[in-house]
Amino acid sequence: MLSYIVRRLLWLPFLLAIMIFITFWLGFYGPGSPEVVLLGQRYDPETAAVIKEQWGLNEPFALQYVKYVRNYVTLNFGESLTKYQGQPVARLLARRLPVTMELNAAAIALGVPLGIILGAIAATYHGRWQDRSIIFFTVLFRAVPSLVAGPVLLFVFAKQLKILPVGGWDGLFSASAILPVSILASGVVAGFARQTRANMLDVLSADYVRTARSKGLSEQMVMSRHVLQNALIPLVTILGLVLGSIVEGTLITETIFGIPGMGQLAFEAIGARDYPIIIAVTVLAAFIFALANLWADLFYGIIDPRIRQS
Amino acid sequence: MARLLEVNNLRTQFFTQDGVVNAVNGISYTLDEGETLGIVGESGCGKSVGVMSLIKLIPTPPGKIVEGSVIFNGENLIDMSDGEIRSVRGNKIGMIFQDPMTSLNPVLTIGRQIQEALELHMGMDKAQSKARAIELLELVGIPSAADRINDYPHQFSGGMRQRVMIAIGLSCNPQLLIADEPTTALDVTIQAQIVDLVKKLRDDLGMAIIWITHDLGVVAGLADRMLVMYAGMIVEEAPVKELYANPSHPYTVGLLGSLPRLDQVSGEKLDSIEGLPPDLIDLPKGCPFHARCKYRIEKCFTENPPLKTIGVGHKAACWIDVTKDPITTERPYQEV
Ligand SMILES: Nc1ncnc2c1ncn2[C@@H]1O[C@H](COP(=O)(O)OP(=O)(O)OP(=O)(O)O)[C@@H](O)[C@H]1O
Ligand code: SF4
Ligand SMILES: [Mg+2]
Repeated sequence: MLSYIVRRLLWLPFLLAIMIFITFWLGFYGPGSPEVVLLGQRYDPETAAVIKEQWGLNEPFALQYVKYVRNYVTLNFGESLTKYQGQPVARLLARRLPVTMELNAAAIALGVPLGIILGAIAATYHGRWQDRSIIFFTVLFRAVPSLVAGPVLLFVFAKQLKILPVGGWDGLFSASAILPVSILASGVVAGFARQTRANMLDVLSADYVRTARSKGLSEQMVMSRHVLQNALIPLVTILGLVLGSIVEGTLITETIFGIPGMGQLAFEAIGARDYPIIIAVTVLAAFIFALANLWADLFYGIIDPRIRQS
Repeated sequence: MARLLEVNNLRTQFFTQDGVVNAVNGISYTLDEGETLGIVGESGCGKSVGVMSLIKLIPTPPGKIVEGSVIFNGENLIDMSDGEIRSVRGNKIGMIFQDPMTSLNPVLTIGRQIQEALELHMGMDKAQSKARAIELLELVGIPSAADRINDYPHQFSGGMRQRVMIAIGLSCNPQLLIADEPTTALDVTIQAQIVDLVKKLRDDLGMAIIWITHDLGVVAGLADRMLVMYAGMIVEEAPVKELYANPSHPYTVGLLGSLPRLDQVSGEKLDSIEGLPPDLIDLPKGCPFHARCKYRIEKCFTENPPLKTIGVGHKAACWIDVTKDPITTERPYQEV
């Protein structure tokens, strides 16, 4: 177990270098470029050439890439080229990251327990109306993208009913957080409810559950002592997947609701071809993602003795 | 010996999408204190459902005990409330199952899984139940029991896990131990060890046993009396020696014929019963065995023979007498 964790940690730098490569490659060969965005109406080829020279954008791909990686190793994330011209990327991230973290932490903290509870209820009432309504809502939550749900909810609650603000961010414990957190959490709820339900139904037909019943345990004891823990084990893996979808959801949700987080920063940076920001956000997302998966594996070990002892 | 168990006309069905599965069709038998009853029959003939119905361990829905009574110590278990029957399960009636690899919870320690029943039924605290669990593990022959109590099931071999299952089944000193094919999943040498262990424990502790198997060879040295089941019915009942010496139902004759013998090339089955058991959703008219029976006569197609006494403690459900009547056909019968 320990050597496994160490191996995973050693892999991390390579993973990040690959992420930088992909993002950089897409920017280098993709359409648009930062100097064009910066100059806008004032564009003329000579000035553009000077700026490109200054930024080192004329150097070959490999050289630029190596420079990036070298800077990252020394924790130098560069400066914004266009959107926040001259500001250090590190400072931009430091300001934006907490907002995104709060948003996601709230969505996970609400979504995971609610999803597990709904899934457990659905499994307990398998095939009855409780089960069917929970399935209906989880399918609905998954089917409607936040790109649609966001504007619709804003229209209803902010424009028509006027009970919630149109957007912005006054901190996690404000009315402005209600809609974005709900939208992000609903995806988490749907994922966890479905999976918990499926796992519980699986475990309920296991031989050891029959053994537990044959000992004379009440249904409640059977559920809490024998079914739940076994049903939760596979959930750890989907936590990684859910994080993936939440990264994507953050980008859209923050942009729709005008929340000054990482997602919005990334969106702005992509529009402005601000490579240093794009790359930094991508690498940071990959880093968080990798850590979360590693944590998931550790958690596996905690709840499953078969893994802990291998 | 005093009567411990009396099963009367027990009938259990499963209400599935394909139709009603007639898993157990009105079986009756008795068991005395300390007696060992073997139940044999091919796969799917209702052995497990039959014994699980005794303690209402049938998944409901789709299953339902639709008829019959189970008198245990003078009380009808079928009429008991959920709470009442739970105080019998694992307490007065212990159970062990076929597959020791999947019958123990992988995330709980062996100790916890034994102690659970002790704390529930015997009102022991953690320290008492732990001491008793160690004692039980020693009883079933697990070396250095005091250390192994904190181990998880995956750290035990199949045979050792079945010993743990036996410890769980016996933990509260049951009057009846139900063993549902406890050796089927184990290899031959381990099978013999488990049978010997149960025999020894029975002689020491004096509980009654219902031992299910589809292998007549395994129970020969263990059981006092045997039931032969077919299509959810009892087709023959006899003291164990009598059954082996004078099998009186053509199905039992077939089962005994398919027993591996010493002079036989390994893997080859002599005289195994041709054909398949009937569909329990759509039971045929007449004797349930008629499609595969070599002795069948006209009447077998229309009337189901009752289980009637043919000797001392010996009953069979058949219209003919296999010792006198001739074989009438060699081919299984196909309904068209
Ligand atoms: N939950 C269930 N739903 C529907 N049918 C069931 C269910 N459980 C058992 N049955 C049916 O009841 C019949 C009897 O099954 P049972 O498990 O008692 O057989 P068995 O004699 O124990 O066989 P084996 O030797 O394979 O253990 C089978 O035909 C089976 O398909
Ligand atoms: S009643 Fe008829 S079919 Fe049934 S076992 Fe006897 S002879 Fe065979
Ligand atoms: Mg069975």
